[in-house]
Amino acid sequence: MKQGFLSILPLAAGAALYGFAFGVLAAQIGFPWWGVALMSGLVHAGSSQIVAVEQFGSHGFVLGAVLAGAALNLRYLGIIASLSEVLRDVPMRLRLLAIHITGDENWALTMARRARDPDIGAAFLIGSGLTMISVWVISTTAGALIGGAIPDLEGYGLGFAFTAAFIAMARAMWRGRQVILPWAITFAATLALVRAGMGPAFAIVLGSLAGVAIATLDRSRRRQDIA
Amino acid sequence: MTSAQWLLIVLLAIAAYGVRLAGLVGGRAISANPRLKPFLDDLPGCLVVGLVAASLAGEPAVTWAAALVALGVAILTNNVVVTMVIGLAAIILGQQLSVY
Repeated sequence: MKQGFLSILPLAAGAALYGFAFGVLAAQIGFPWWGVALMSGLVHAGSSQIVAVEQFGSHGFVLGAVLAGAALNLRYLGIIASLSEVLRDVPMRLRLLAIHITGDENWALTMARRARDPDIGAAFLIGSGLTMISVWVISTTAGALIGGAIPDLEGYGLGFAFTAAFIAMARAMWRGRQVILPWAITFAATLALVRAGMGPAFAIVLGSLAGVAIATLDRSRRRQDIA
Repeated sequence: MTSAQWLLIVLLAIAAYGVRLAGLVGGRAISANPRLKPFLDDLPGCLVVGLVAASLAGEPAVTWAAALVALGVAILTNNVVVTMVIGLAAIILGQQLSVY
């Protein structure tokens, strides 16, 4: 466990920078530092938190913000499912904790180490997960304390910090050329719907569904080509 | 905090843990389900692209230019924080330039 606790530190440092930036933005939108700490401890999902806070800040629409944030976290279905072997001999109570403290970084590190050394398992996952969630709570809280103390950044393009974060998230989700068409459709449809006067939350959902539909059609067409 | 902020935190926490719990209970079956697969594979990426589009809609040219800078940085570095910092610098610089 101690091994996991320490091995993840370099990766946790990257998450800390991201957490700090999120904390600053959340505080500027009006969350107190302890609210940010509470959210980070209870939610523990970086991109979900940043999307939910931005949607909440710009539209004040709670359900839309929650749905957008949760949908971004769907990858954890696969991530947690892939841990079933690692968590097999762990008591249920510890398993329920382990799935909460697992993040992208320590999941990837655990799987990579385990591929080389079968002794790496639940203890490593939990140790590294404890580091991840601690670093996440501390860095977001520190960001919120700073963000609450500095003047309003809205006039300096604060909103654009979120846009830039979303652009970087999209880059990280790039899975090759097959995403170009669905992403282009999503972008164009969302833009057109917002321009036409639809609320951004609904426009994003409808635009994304259009993109997903195109991706599904494209995939079945390709499968037919192969057959 | 306002009650809306409390509600956001509590609902988001339930939703995030719910996804993890679903992964623990039936993750393999859900991930392999042919009806759900397109959503799981494509929805997150499309949503993020939709968020970018919504935040750029109706914005002046300087914001779009800064978005292109951010896209270039994102492609090169694949790093969220670096993209945010350089993107913010680009839009502040752009706003200063367009004043003069």
